[in-house]
Amino acid sequence: MIWRENLLLHIKLAATASASLNSQSERKERESEMVGPKYDCLANPLGAVRLTFEKAIASGADPASFDGKDWGAVDLFRQFLFEDGALSHVPILNPTTIKWVQPNTLVRFRGMIQDMLGNEFYAGAYKDGSVWRTNKFMDVCQYPMGSSPDMRIWERRLLYCVPVPGQNSWTESLSEVAMNKTSQQREKRQRMEDDASNHMDLVLVDEFESSPSVKKMRENGHASPSSQSKDSVIEGTSNTNFVTNAERNSLPCLVKIYDCPESELKLNEVFEFVGVLTLDSDVMADKNDQDESSYGFIEDELVHLPPEKVPRLHCLIHRKLDVNDFLHSSPMMEPKPQLVKETRESLLRHLTSILGNDGIAAHLMLLHLLSRVHARIDNVAVGKLSLNLTCLSKESVSVFGNQIRLSVQNLLPFTQCIPLTVNYLNTASLAPKKDYQTNRLIPGVLQLADGSHLIIDETQLETGTLNSTGVENARLLKNLMEFQKVEYNFEYYKMEMIADVQMLILSEGKSNIVPADLVIPFQPSSAASFEVVPAETLEAWRWYLASVRSLPHSIESDMQKVVESDLVAARQADRSLGGQDLSRLLTMGRLMSASFGETSLSLEHWQMVKELERLRRERLK
Amino acid sequence: MASDSGFPSFNDGPSSPDDSISTPIDNTFSSPAGSSRASGRGRGGGRRRRRSTTPTAFLTPRANQSRFATSSETPNTTPSRSNRRSNGQRHATSPSSTDDVPLSSSEAGDDMDEATPTFVWGTNISVQDVKSAIQMFLKHFREKEELLSGSESEIYKEGKYMRAINRVLEIEGEWIDVDANDVFDYDSDLYNKMVRYPLEVLAIFDIVLMDIVSLINPLFEKHVQVRIYNLKSSTAMRNLNPSDIEKMVSLKGMIIRCSSIIPEIREAIFRCLVCGYYSDPIVVDRGRINEPSTCLKQECLAKNSMTLVHNRCRFADKQIVRLQETPDDIPDGGTPHTVSLLMHDKLVDAGKPGDRVEVTGIYRAMSVRVGPTQRTVKSLFKTYIDCLHIKKADKSRMLVEDAMEIDNSHPRIEDEIQFDESKIQQLKELSRQPNIYETLTRSLAPNIWELDDVKKGLLCQLFGGNALKLPSGASFRGDINILLVGDPGTSKSQLLQYIHKLSPRGIYTSGKGSSAVGLTAYVTKDPETGETVLESGALVLSDRGICCIDEFDKMSESARSMLHEVMEQQTVSIAKAGIIASLNARTSVLACANPSGSRYNPRLSVIENIHLPPTLLSRFDLIYLILDKADEQTDRRLAKHIVSLHFENPENSEQGVLDLATLTAYVSYARKHIHPKLSDEAAEELTRGYVEMRRRGNFPGSSKKVITATPRQIESLIRLSEALARIRLSELVEKHDVEEAFRLLEVAMQQSATDHSTGTIDMDLITTGVSASERMRRENMVSSTRNIIMEKMQLGGPSMRLLEILEELKKLIPGSEVHLHDLRNALTTLASEGFVVVHGDSVKRI
Repeated sequence: MIWRENLLLHIKLAATASASLNSQSERKERESEMVGPKYDCLANPLGAVRLTFEKAIASGADPASFDGKDWGAVDLFRQFLFEDGALSHVPILNPTTIKWVQPNTLVRFRGMIQDMLGNEFYAGAYKDGSVWRTNKFMDVCQYPMGSSPDMRIWERRLLYCVPVPGQNSWTESLSEVAMNKTSQQREKRQRMEDDASNHMDLVLVDEFESSPSVKKMRENGHASPSSQSKDSVIEGTSNTNFVTNAERNSLPCLVKIYDCPESELKLNEVFEFVGVLTLDSDVMADKNDQDESSYGFIEDELVHLPPEKVPRLHCLIHRKLDVNDFLHSSPMMEPKPQLVKETRESLLRHLTSILGNDGIAAHLMLLHLLSRVHARIDNVAVGKLSLNLTCLSKESVSVFGNQIRLSVQNLLPFTQCIPLTVNYLNTASLAPKKDYQTNRLIPGVLQLADGSHLIIDETQLETGTLNSTGVENARLLKNLMEFQKVEYNFEYYKMEMIADVQMLILSEGKSNIVPADLVIPFQPSSAASFEVVPAETLEAWRWYLASVRSLPHSIESDMQKVVESDLVAARQADRSLGGQDLSRLLTMGRLMSASFGETSLSLEHWQMVKELERLRRERLK
Repeated sequence: MASDSGFPSFNDGPSSPDDSISTPIDNTFSSPAGSSRASGRGRGGGRRRRRSTTPTAFLTPRANQSRFATSSETPNTTPSRSNRRSNGQRHATSPSSTDDVPLSSSEAGDDMDEATPTFVWGTNISVQDVKSAIQMFLKHFREKEELLSGSESEIYKEGKYMRAINRVLEIEGEWIDVDANDVFDYDSDLYNKMVRYPLEVLAIFDIVLMDIVSLINPLFEKHVQVRIYNLKSSTAMRNLNPSDIEKMVSLKGMIIRCSSIIPEIREAIFRCLVCGYYSDPIVVDRGRINEPSTCLKQECLAKNSMTLVHNRCRFADKQIVRLQETPDDIPDGGTPHTVSLLMHDKLVDAGKPGDRVEVTGIYRAMSVRVGPTQRTVKSLFKTYIDCLHIKKADKSRMLVEDAMEIDNSHPRIEDEIQFDESKIQQLKELSRQPNIYETLTRSLAPNIWELDDVKKGLLCQLFGGNALKLPSGASFRGDINILLVGDPGTSKSQLLQYIHKLSPRGIYTSGKGSSAVGLTAYVTKDPETGETVLESGALVLSDRGICCIDEFDKMSESARSMLHEVMEQQTVSIAKAGIIASLNARTSVLACANPSGSRYNPRLSVIENIHLPPTLLSRFDLIYLILDKADEQTDRRLAKHIVSLHFENPENSEQGVLDLATLTAYVSYARKHIHPKLSDEAAEELTRGYVEMRRRGNFPGSSKKVITATPRQIESLIRLSEALARIRLSELVEKHDVEEAFRLLEVAMQQSATDHSTGTIDMDLITTGVSASERMRRENMVSSTRNIIMEKMQLGGPSMRLLEILEELKKLIPGSEVHLHDLRNALTTLASEGFVVVHGDSVKRI
């Protein structure tokens, strides 16, 4: 009979929760009457939703006209978050914040769409007596819902989101700032609830009081994360960062999206969702009962996602995240030519020192870090530039490999590293696979967000036999390298998903498993130097990489002619040059000019690329 | 009464507007007349429906009689009536479908006069109307072909569904399948009602059906159900939305999971534990069975004594199936959607995981309660589809049922992918474009530019020729085999990959990784049972498809020899381990090979370049040389192409190109439905052209005979021209198809079979590997060598060194170059004649 007691407890909890909610909302309503449309969108977003709904109904709108549409609630929040600048006040959901964030409050979640669980139908609007109520943005209706004919069934999409794979710790510091701040708010909220009599004034006063302090906090926050990242550079030779990252990032989230065209949200894209958090465990309380067989028959994939582990977020507003959004400094610099050039120089110096004074490799590395797929024509992914550093032995890789990995980690937001061994190939599940038992997409290593960086360390590879999994995995890696596509395994068929992953291969000889675009024998002249990079510089580099990468690019017609005749000449001289080689040259040209912050290819940069290519070829001989 | 009322209401229609126009004074009159006409029409419709209550015995013969009259065209039998009877149905219903709502209301008004109508709850659909409409449909529906071919024996046959009902009665079946297209053709109003209110209309359908059944055979006990299939439009799974709830929908998808079979209780019988009284069967009511709280026996009336008797209850099978979207419906960056299907009775286990099916059913939503003890309902709904009908579709992307299928005269209708009307129209529209051939060529691998003739050849391969099987047993393949030979880096492999992606059941293998058994078939021992089993290889697996073999030249000798049989006989014969079998391998082979040196040596023949046995080479219909010429022009074009790839908007670079899906649909439609025949003109052209080709070998004044064409070429030509006709979706091979086929063959031959020393086409190059001119040269060489040896050496005398003879030869034949290996060849010939003995470098006459 324990479960019965539990159930009772649940019911009680639910009852109190809804009661407190009701009182809160009533309070809000009273407040709105007095101060006009001023809602506490942060603490009681559902109240705001309800008020706008009631307002819309009161103004004579038919609930049927809200099918798949918004009645103004989202606009309210958009204004609140972006125009009033409240976005930074909204706590970011992560394993630390989840412990204290209250359900039914406004939260943010940043993550990658890992799986789509289809659509969900819910009673969107219904009549409770003579009053229209809405269930939008919530899981359980708060008012009794009879089976009245005046019920509108609406739909929402379920997205299963996870923290971006390989997300580096520096991207998160911002959330800690937010956390400190919101914990303060939470105190405020508790205080508010303690004395309910004169809460109203308090809210207003608090709001004013807190805002400057928040600002202060933010300023402080700037210094602290950067010093932290400095630390990680200094003592970051160990692998510990990795593990903690994975643990810290393990919070997935089930996002419910309303009224949004399907094409807007795609698999593997990185988004920030702002919405109402619900943790209602009572919804799933009926899962252990078996007598309800007529209801149990419909598969419920949500069974495998208990709300204690996977919080629900009813999304009000979502926006696609750029690398820039992960930088701490707000758009700090205009891409001024001088500034870009300086940053480029310093970054190049840094790369050169990391690579043991190998200038050519550093140049190529810079181009590689800037590459992205900017167009797809049939099977050709234009713009990718994978790099293969050869002549790295097992010994040297422990020195340089680690250095490279760490600096890439510090420069790019999402990085991963695959130690390629026979055993790894034979056992790892690289491709995502659909599990029809749970109806979920099981993530694979290669399910990566666009713009991820992948280091493949082939130096540990020894001779051995690949089993069928190994062969399949090798093929997957090769396909990713060549076409920037990953085959997802849906058991009965495979589906190709496009990807945009920068791939860096460290190997002893030229890698044949993953043939890269650019092969360069690595020739260090000195040991890698451990230099301490100031946080501001690091930040500037990140900003540089992120903004330069997204620059548009074009070519003047006379320059086009020059390039064409150069290509023809190159091909006349060396018949072994194929279309791919020429294409790579053009990619390099594009990236070279982009690295100077320019949007069209100039002769100077084209010459640089040709020179670079000549040096590289010389070294290959 | 029926015919009378129908007749004026119809005549009324066309005549009254004429009146209003001719007499403008009547204008004031015309508007009420019009309105009365409208209502009259409505009433006519209503009466027509009601008419169906008249006994069938009366209706059926009359209908037949009138159609008979039409077909024999006797003018004095009432033409209006016959017109109305035969296709008047369609006339009468077409207006009703457009102004659906007012009509049904007027019908309802009509019915009000006679009896109080029953309406479907919440709608204005009258049960009686629907009932009579269904009755009419079931009794009188005939297919179009039946109506058109009005032969006497057909006329007296019953309607399609009456026959179906009779058949069901005979076999004691439990359902009849009703094609929704038929319903639409007969009565689009009924169709709309059925799709919009399926629950109610289907219930009426079942009632009507049972009425008819009991009329025919009152003793028939089984409950016969209607299963609707083939709706006019099918919904994409991801487009299902709340407005589809409680509607009839049709979905395509793939079954991914089936639950075990769940027995669902239908009727329960309870027994009193006290007195042993058995209750009457209690039927399930809204998913629940009310357990009697007291014994129903008057004498007992014990409380809480009733217990369920399991083995006397009636159960029905139930199964829950998950259906997932087919990969083609998934947009970019999406994952497939799934939906649950609820299957009952006979539909259970109708499909298994992996099957592609088309499902017709009712989309339903069910509210989820928070807990078993709680009344509050969660705001969520679980959706599922109550399945009515399930149809399996073929698994392959491009269905090909043509090649070699002529002996099979029964087309399997059920397994076919149905092209819907609009799609066919679209494809036909496409085929009427004058430049369809060019458009298709351009659409084939658009990112590989140039190589237009190669692409045209590949296009022909995709479409394929007609396979022919003579009654005598001889068969001619319709598949076109193509070999691409060329320098590395000329996108051969890309072409192969592309064709592989496009082709039905294509298999892609690399020559180096394929063994003979891997290509054909092999016998293995099953690890579990120890039985010998036959495993199919790539060629057998790509039966009716295209087998793409990369690196053909690197294939082992034994593997290649297996191809001989496949490429001409199109079978794979196995005789080992007690299994003697001949498997079908009706596959087109698309192979590509690299020259044996890294580059193609234009001075050598194809055979010498790729080291393939001539016997195999001659089995390729088309052999293309894709050479990377050091030509600045092509290089420039390549450079331009790559630059535009990088800097221009990729959309505007290539225009008028069909997308892959359309191309696939086009090819599969053509392969399936178009079987072109040679026209007389085309046959003549073929003969003429072939003779011409043969004649080209005879140079005026030349004694040597060069073979420029062989019978294999004429077969190839026929295949090519058939494929070309197919490209135009034409059933007739025209003269210009043949001309184009000749051109294609010539282009391919010119590249591969040109004898470089004379510049003419020489089929001997392909068939034997040695051109006629080369043979002449070799003969010359042998005779001159013989002369030299005769001159310089005595029988049994001292031996001579090779180089000395070479010097002599060069003196003898001053103009041409003489190589050491030529001399060696000549000496080998002489040695085989027993004229000389060659020991290393020294030659001795014997």
